Amino acid sequence: MKKRDDVLVGIVMAVAIIVAILGSLWLARGGLSKGYALYAKFPWSSGLKQGQPVLLAGVNVGYVDQVELRQDGTVLTTFRVGKNYKVPQGTIATVIPNGIFGDMAIALTPKRPNPLSIPANDTIPVGPSAPGIAELTSKGDSIATSVNSITTALNKELVASGGVADLRKTLASSNALMLSMNRLVAEFSSVAAEQNRQLTMTQVSLRKATSGVDSAKIDSTLKNVRQTSENFAVLSADFKQTSAKLDSVIAKVNSGTGSVGLALNDPGAYNDVRSLIAHMDSIMVDLKKNPRRYINLKIF
Amino acid sequence: MRDIGRALGDPKTYAAETVRQMRNIGVDSLPLAAIVAAFIGAVTAIQTRYQLFGGVQLSVVGLISRQSIILELGPLLTGLVLTGRVGARITAEIGTMRVTEQIDALETLAYDPIGYLVVPRLLAAIIMIPMLTILANAIGVGTAFVTAIFATDVTSTAFSEGLRLAFGPFQIVYSIIKATIFGAAIAFFCSYEGYNTTAGAEGVGRSTAQAVVVTSVAILVLDALTAILLAPYLQA
Repeated sequence: MKKRDDVLVGIVMAVAIIVAILGSLWLARGGLSKGYALYAKFPWSSGLKQGQPVLLAGVNVGYVDQVELRQDGTVLTTFRVGKNYKVPQGTIATVIPNGIFGDMAIALTPKRPNPLSIPANDTIPVGPSAPGIAELTSKGDSIATSVNSITTALNKELVASGGVADLRKTLASSNALMLSMNRLVAEFSSVAAEQNRQLTMTQVSLRKATSGVDSAKIDSTLKNVRQTSENFAVLSADFKQTSAKLDSVIAKVNSGTGSVGLALNDPGAYNDVRSLIAHMDSIMVDLKKNPRRYINLKIF
Repeated sequence: MRDIGRALGDPKTYAAETVRQMRNIGVDSLPLAAIVAAFIGAVTAIQTRYQLFGGVQLSVVGLISRQSIILELGPLLTGLVLTGRVGARITAEIGTMRVTEQIDALETLAYDPIGYLVVPRLLAAIIMIPMLTILANAIGVGTAFVTAIFATDVTSTAFSEGLRLAFGPFQIVYSIIKATIFGAAIAFFCSYEGYNTTAGAEGVGRSTAQAVVVTSVAILVLDALTAILLAPYLQA
């Protein structure tokens, strides 16, 4: 009986101790395996504590093993990653809120898939941390303060200084204005209807007048006008051609080439003509003086 | 207290009896502690799930179940239940020995009644009640896990995530410290009431009832004091 007591007590104690150790290990680090160590230097007040989870692309792969406060404004964090997980090179470590109770976690975010992995005991570069619950709460507080000041100001302007009453008066005036506008629009509508009726009548009269015109005559007139226009075009072309020819002749005359050009432009020819005329004048004078020299008329 | 300290110096007096008391207090109380822990775990998980307002992540069920069971319900309810089962038995045993003058006989035979009757029970309670509490915590968390998965919409992943969220090994130590204090209180107060029993069988009944009441109140007071003293270390 005594031996049985010893065995039973021993079994219960052993089971309890094993449960306590294994349970603590599982809750703290997810299993018996310690994993390999990696390091990251986060700024102060990052909120990290031992045992917090490490997430690789959102998957829980390890836990924070040690947090060492340094005087250079950083917290050297040692975290352990399970041996079956590889952290790709180019990964950035950030501190992110984990849940709504202010707990934090380390998020390892790879830039892209990379077959090369960060070796054990290496330091991972740190990225900007996401705002925590405290920061969000502080921002929420400042927003609430701003909203409060706005509502206070509105209360002062609208209620205390009679702004609401003014607003009501303005609304009543606007309502009266709208009624007047409605009446005006109704009057405009009646005027427009009358105008429309007059225009319709004018259109009918015009349609009647146009129906009296002989369309065949208009058609032939239009044909004649078109023919005349074509003739004018031909005449214009001929005239242009003649003008061009005349231009070339005048140019030739001006240039002094050809007989007409020479006659008009050569001073020698001009002098010859003058001497000829002078010679003819002397012959005519001599003829008047001595006709018999030139005219020897014998009748019989 | 002085007598207990003196008796502890003679292990031969209490060693063999201590193992027997460990069997009585620890091993025999395991089914009761396990049943209580199982139901507490299940109820905690269900209550937590249906108290959550919209938008709160379901992993909170795991977190609150773990914190409630390990930090408070596991040690406290195990202590209170064992007060009824173990404490009453201790008082009744020692009280009966007192009224039947067996303690006087021990003294006549030069046995130290404190070392032979009180110290083994005290040591057994101090050792075994923390063990029972560890097992009760494990059973409570396990039943909370199973209940949350099968009776609510909480997934095993979410519950596990909550279970491991913000866990520190000191939480287990805190639970064990509480259980040790409760075990010592049960053994001490119940032994005291039994040892000072008077007036025959009626006195045994009265002492037993008074021991259960005093020990239960003492456990609640010690629970509050422990929380006040040690809870700040949980946050650190």
